[in-house]
Amino acid sequence: MLMCRELAGIASDYIDGELSAGRNLSVKMHLMMCRHCRSFIGNLRASTELMRAHSSARVDPAVIDRISDRVSEALRDR
Amino acid sequence: MIQQTDLDESSLVEALKRGESSAYARAVSHFSPGMLAVARYYLDASSAEEIVQDCWVSVIDAIQKFEGRSGLKTWLHRIVANRCKNKLRSSQREIPTDFSERLDPELASRFNTSGRWASPPKLRFDESADALMENEALSDCLDKHLSHLPETQRSALILYEAHQHKSEDVCNILDVSASNLRVMLHRARQKILLMVETFQETGEC
Ligand SMILES: [Zn+2]
Repeated sequence: MLMCRELAGIASDYIDGELSAGRNLSVKMHLMMCRHCRSFIGNLRASTELMRAHSSARVDPAVIDRISDRVSEALRDR
Repeated sequence: MIQQTDLDESSLVEALKRGESSAYARAVSHFSPGMLAVARYYLDASSAEEIVQDCWVSVIDAIQKFEGRSGLKTWLHRIVANRCKNKLRSSQREIPTDFSERLDPELASRFNTSGRWASPPKLRFDESADALMENEALSDCLDKHLSHLPETQRSALILYEAHQHKSEDVCNILDVSASNLRVMLHRARQKILLMVETFQETGEC
């Protein structure tokens, strides 16, 4: 039987659909019986969506400005 | 959020090939954040910025040979990765990596010896991601935690989640195996989960 700890270790693979059919089934069975792991999977999924919604690649506009300046300069010098 | 649809790629590529400065301005602001994320996987912040600048300058000529088979973003990210790898090769720096443990240590400590939850999740995040992100304190907290993630995990997370690269592209760009990428992603997601949990419980970052 799959234990909670083991499930937590493969939770991202489950969410992303990367598990084998057999493994996927044992996670599903576990989740039917274990509300803690249901919460965990739900929260991990929410965290993943949060990460997607967050403009994680937000960078300092000054960095972009410096890149732009360098490119404009190179274009002019061609 | 990164918009994939607001740039018509083939007309942008044509404008870049013609050397139009307005096209470069758009492309630089659109693609540089992802390119910086790739470079940060290999290098410190100031070297990463320098590499991305150099890449753009090389793109001015290289774009003539771009055929659009891989998509502009993937093509740019590969250029950055290759430059970074060359730079590392010449300075002999190794990238530290640990792929042996799938569980974050803090999370691992919440199971008892029989592998059941000793300290289970106390609550479920029931708000949508968009609703959560409206909370500015949480958004700042996320920024802070992202910046504390090991470089490897952060780059994997940013390329895979925020830039929605396919796994095989991320593996290619970061030079990691598919199974190691899975570990990196999972470790990074656990950190974000633990952060949100603490924030929801205590209101503190
Ligand atoms: Zn369980």
